[in-house]
Amino acid sequence: MATAVVARPVARPQARARDEEVLVWPDLVFIEFIAAMVFTITLFLLSFLVNAPLLDQANADVTPNPSKAPWYLLNLQELLLHMNAAMAGVIIPTIWLVILGAFPYFDRETEGQGKWFGTAGAIRLTVVGALVGFIGTWFLIFWDAGKLAYLIGKWSGGAISGGDTFRFLENVRSIQTQLPWPEWSTRITYLPFNLKILDSGFQHLNFPAWLVEQGIPIAVLVGLPSLMIYAMWKLGWVMTRRDALIALFSGFVAAYGVLTMVGTAFRGAGQELVYPWELTVSEGIPGQE
Amino acid sequence: MSVETPTKPTIADKIYDKLFHNYIWKSIFRTGYPNTPRNQMLVVATNVFLHLHPTRIHRTHVKITHTYCLGGLSFFMFLGLTITGILLMFYYVPSVERAYLDMQNITTTVQFGQLMRNMHRWMAHAMVILVFLHMMRVFYTGAYKPPREFNWVVGVVLLVLTFLLSFTGYLLPWDQLAFWAITVGTNIAGSAPVLGPKTRFWLLGGFEVGPDSLIRFYTLHVIGLPLLAAIFMAVHFWRIRRDGGLARPL
Repeated sequence: MATAVVARPVARPQARARDEEVLVWPDLVFIEFIAAMVFTITLFLLSFLVNAPLLDQANADVTPNPSKAPWYLLNLQELLLHMNAAMAGVIIPTIWLVILGAFPYFDRETEGQGKWFGTAGAIRLTVVGALVGFIGTWFLIFWDAGKLAYLIGKWSGGAISGGDTFRFLENVRSIQTQLPWPEWSTRITYLPFNLKILDSGFQHLNFPAWLVEQGIPIAVLVGLPSLMIYAMWKLGWVMTRRDALIALFSGFVAAYGVLTMVGTAFRGAGQELVYPWELTVSEGIPGQE
Repeated sequence: MSVETPTKPTIADKIYDKLFHNYIWKSIFRTGYPNTPRNQMLVVATNVFLHLHPTRIHRTHVKITHTYCLGGLSFFMFLGLTITGILLMFYYVPSVERAYLDMQNITTTVQFGQLMRNMHRWMAHAMVILVFLHMMRVFYTGAYKPPREFNWVVGVVLLVLTFLLSFTGYLLPWDQLAFWAITVGTNIAGSAPVLGPKTRFWLLGGFEVGPDSLIRFYTLHVIGLPLLAAIFMAVHFWRIRRDGGLARPL
């Protein structure tokens, strides 16, 4: 049987352009040396001027308020305030890392490489994607903290007020607490027995809680980026997979930055949203709050 | 290169000759002083550290704005953290009884102890930032594209390892900041469906942060994760060369 050999486009290293090359020693080694020296000196100076923090000895009985993870995890801690803990802390970051790792398998075109913003419209996609991520994330945080409803009421002098009818729009949790959900919807049996996987059981579904903690966050996290890319596609901005990835990645970087910043500088005692200059940390020692 | 007419050797030439053309120098470096193109290429090719590089690269790649040296600087931070980390290890014992006391000793009585600790801490922060910026550079220059797909994946793994290295080191000072940050951090890990509580228990060696957590985090921080990171870095650097060096326009 004759086997059709299909020529698959296997990417190979580019041929070298030898007449365009320079010597690594000294041209590259010199730059590396300078970069290393700049960083060494800067970090030395920083270390002379600023001491690494060392608080009181660890004490499991004294809880500082707020207690925070290291700064590069505060984006996850911030997400944690808005949705189901497993989703915010584990599922979303894991899925995102898989998506991130799969970038080159989704976008297999070789054009536009080796050059900053090498494809047409790349800068526009970067800026707009980042703006959408930045404004969108701030808006959602603001809304979920109840600040939006508060500010609308304050700025309009109480003229615009939803009263009790629209209280469920105040933040995401009030969709669960302020709407007249029927009794049965909080306990929907979807398994005839209690399926115990390791420690936790699965049998009933509290639909309003599920909606608020998982349904809406999933819809927002999948929906908004998809909507952005769809709109950009309609506008003719996103033409290739690379374009879609640029918008998505830029939106991610901006959202990641906002989440980290809010988690670090805008979350005070009880994880309340405050201005950075109002942020105080209670050491948790009785009588010294 | 124009051919120079031989002149009478000066005293500098004689010193140069004695320094770089003697038996001992040649036994160590094989090549002469790198002042000719031939020696400059040989010095890169025959040196175990420099041979991470090819002998010659495309001229656009030595432009600082092409990479901002971000990947190299991340690796440089890793090396610096190893050195300062080893120095700190001389003075630090990862037990609940001693950890905090040792920290106080490092910052007060050990010569340059405070400096070493500060360097270690600020370099760790710098490394997290640099690795993230390096990822952004690679993305926006389209350098993940074929044939470099797999190296991007290795890079994502290294990003996670960098976070984990920093996170495991965070507990070691055994102060309130460390204790509660790790409590919050491992609670996040513990919220994972099905495997979360077991993962948290495995990570902490108990239900809450305690003596067993300290030794686990210490072991991961000083040997487990650096070893893993070193392996992935070796693959990462090797693949840069195998995939044709830095990406450049077609």
